[in-house]
Amino acid sequence: MSTAVLDDRPAPPDAQLLRARLRRPARVAVRILSALGVLWAAATFTFFVQSVLPGDRATLIINQDTGQTIERSAAELAPINERFGFDDSLVTQYGHYLTGLVQGDLGTSYRLKQPVTTIISEQIGPTLLLTFSALALAWIISIALTVATARRGRIASSVASGFEVVTAALPHYWLGVILLVVFAIDLQWFPVEGGTGFVGLVLPALTLAIPLAGFLGQVTREQFERTLDEPFVTSARARGMSDLGVRVKHALRHAVLPAITLSGWALGALFSGAVVVELVFARAGLGQVLVDAASARDIPLVSGVVMLVALVYVIANLIVDALYVVVDPRLGKAA
Amino acid sequence: MPSPLSPTASAPLTARLAAAAAALITALVLTACGGSGSTTNASATDDAAAKPTRGGTIEYAHQQEPPCISGGWVEQAYISRQVFDSLVSQVGKGRIVPWIATKWKVSKDQLTWTFDLKPGVKFSDGDALDAEAVKANFDYWLDPKTINGTVAAYIGEYYDSSRAVDATTFQLKLKKPYSPLLSALSQGYFGLHSPSSLKQPADVQCVKPVGSGPFVIEKWNRGQNVEFVRNPTYNSAPQNAKNQGPAYVDRLNWKFVKEPATRWGSLTTGQNQVIYDIPSVDWQEAKAEYQVEKYTTPGRPQTLSLNVTKAPFDDIRVRKALAYALDRKAAVENAFGEAADFNGNPALSKSTPNYDASLENAYTYDPDKANALLDQAGWSTKNADGIRTKGGRPLKAVIDYGAGSIINADGATLLQTLQEQAKQVGFEIELKPLTLTQLFGGQFSTPTSYDARPGYWTSPTAGVLYIVWRQNLKDRPNGNNTSFYNDPGLERTIGEANSTLDPQEQQALYSKAQKRISDQAAAIGLYTRTSSLAIDRSKLRDVWLESSQGEPVFSDAWLVKP
Repeated sequence: MSTAVLDDRPAPPDAQLLRARLRRPARVAVRILSALGVLWAAATFTFFVQSVLPGDRATLIINQDTGQTIERSAAELAPINERFGFDDSLVTQYGHYLTGLVQGDLGTSYRLKQPVTTIISEQIGPTLLLTFSALALAWIISIALTVATARRGRIASSVASGFEVVTAALPHYWLGVILLVVFAIDLQWFPVEGGTGFVGLVLPALTLAIPLAGFLGQVTREQFERTLDEPFVTSARARGMSDLGVRVKHALRHAVLPAITLSGWALGALFSGAVVVELVFARAGLGQVLVDAASARDIPLVSGVVMLVALVYVIANLIVDALYVVVDPRLGKAA
Repeated sequence: MPSPLSPTASAPLTARLAAAAAALITALVLTACGGSGSTTNASATDDAAAKPTRGGTIEYAHQQEPPCISGGWVEQAYISRQVFDSLVSQVGKGRIVPWIATKWKVSKDQLTWTFDLKPGVKFSDGDALDAEAVKANFDYWLDPKTINGTVAAYIGEYYDSSRAVDATTFQLKLKKPYSPLLSALSQGYFGLHSPSSLKQPADVQCVKPVGSGPFVIEKWNRGQNVEFVRNPTYNSAPQNAKNQGPAYVDRLNWKFVKEPATRWGSLTTGQNQVIYDIPSVDWQEAKAEYQVEKYTTPGRPQTLSLNVTKAPFDDIRVRKALAYALDRKAAVENAFGEAADFNGNPALSKSTPNYDASLENAYTYDPDKANALLDQAGWSTKNADGIRTKGGRPLKAVIDYGAGSIINADGATLLQTLQEQAKQVGFEIELKPLTLTQLFGGQFSTPTSYDARPGYWTSPTAGVLYIVWRQNLKDRPNGNNTSFYNDPGLERTIGEANSTLDPQEQQALYSKAQKRISDQAAAIGLYTRTSSLAIDRSKLRDVWLESSQGEPVFSDAWLVKP
């Protein structure tokens, strides 16, 4: 899956140019096929890994229903094996699974007894809200910091880049607990748990956004400073453009390209970070669902969530491609 | 009732009792619940004087979220208690009081139990709670397709059939006498569902089961909370409830907050009025600032099962040596503080009816005895690391444990201390943490997969001994016998105890069984599983934990300022 995603990423401009020269319908077809390929690979990989891991699935189901951790007798296992078809060969099970997928049926969670589509549709809202707010916040923080401090004297610049280095390495769990204790428990500016509105989103989103902002800031700053040395910047200044104008209109446009590319990847990282944030702030969301499902070897649910994540990746990378053309019109003209 | 993932508790009747009536009754019941500790910093009696108010929402931060509302896990008993009524309720150590069953009698041969049911009780979907409905529940619990594994563990071997004699008379036929029946029935697993709801598809039943209890499930926002609304026509509270009518509050917001710091913070900031499972670092503050309800889980305490079918624990001298080598009392106090108590009896926890206190110090810390026993057993030479050897093989045992589930962080600290202590007598212990998948998957639960394993089983009756210690035979497997200790005599003794109604004879038999388990050192007692609530009394009064599983009861509770 990750290879396919990498191939989709328009990192080297040459490749991007090449691809841009493909005819439009062909390009769309390739896109759709590769997206389907990613989804199929994600589903298949998850299915087989979850199926062949040690530990009996029927035993897991019975033990979890009763809170016990024991070996089960054949008589106890038989009805479960029959109900879920665990006695069939792996190939048969995979066949059933793929048939269901093609018909849009993601199956029913072993553990939660609900259709996987129901669970996902209930949980995807809070997760998307969290990850996209975090992404937006990370962009705002990193751009503001870069524009305000890059090449603005040694002190401002090194304080800001020091901030970026430190925050980029912060673990989500640690940062989340610190924000929780300081701003929710001590200062009581925000709810401690379960806030559903905007106020409840602030700390969880910041927990994810701060490390990402540090990371995006590092790459943006480097590119930004390099751009400020370009001749066209000097000529813009010579035309009498203000410093802020030069920074925002010219330098920033160049500097954000690598950060845009990274944002496609960042969505995935945010999703895994969401697991921790959901735990600390007691939020609903797919992260915890996935963790619980994976430890229960709840194959339909795990596969459903993994495919969804793959889909988000694919879409995010399509958007990244499109944004590339918007930010750097030369790519579009080449087509 | 096994409760691997979560603690449970038992006794907090104090508040209720005091309120319930006169000092005489209070004294009586307090004696009854002796062993299961309940601590309350504020005198409970002022609740009796205060007049309950109507309305408002209880904000409760619980810990773990079950997969479905009802089922066989202790988490499901907790939440089931809000929605369902049961036939009977238990008070303290084994006193049974009426609930849906107003009276009951058992035949001379102890094979036929007849229950008189409260007339006119309705489920919240309109179905009548009559004898047919009760029968439908028993059929459902024991049908192989919809089996409730915990119900089956208690009554599966005993249950023969049931029938509705008339609308308010329910009869249960057993295959053999079973005296712990009423205690078993008092647990949330035996909550009664409406017959129509039992015919609903599994996905609906999972999230919206229908009972006749004090609250009705409005919505389950998975990952976040279950929203309950009050059942406005509730008229079937158990006799031990202070409030016999509908709940005082309008709503109950049952949230899932797994992270301990968050849960505690939600109480101190006033976001919630009551939280489950006080983090061990916050116990002192909890006792100073809040009302604390502590439930010492009855049943099998947290014990170390020793696998008697393989070396080194196939030798009773080695099993005893390990018990003597460990200063368990000090180690438990160090690791847990107030959050749990040492429980030396390996068979029953001190809050269980028929618990035998004389076994508490059967293996007091005595490294000399441990060394002598190991010498006798032939582990008399030592290798370069100071580990005993026999025939060149080191004396080593693997303890595997459910990390973060059966054994929490404090429990892991305890195991590490014990590991150090064992080393002092030349006994090497390897600790192997298991993930949830490994733990539940069964492949680490076979007679060849481990040397020792900690575990517990929440149960309001000594009858749990039959579940845990019945033999594990080919034709009659019993995976709960985690020591793989097959002892026909022990099984017979427990069976006889489970079949006698004479209290003295029963105590003698249960004691004999406990002594046998302890003498054989088939398991080593560690600590009592404990659960707790911290309640902000300036906001919320009269919350209590019932005694079969430590299920929180909110139908008596009321808000100071709704």
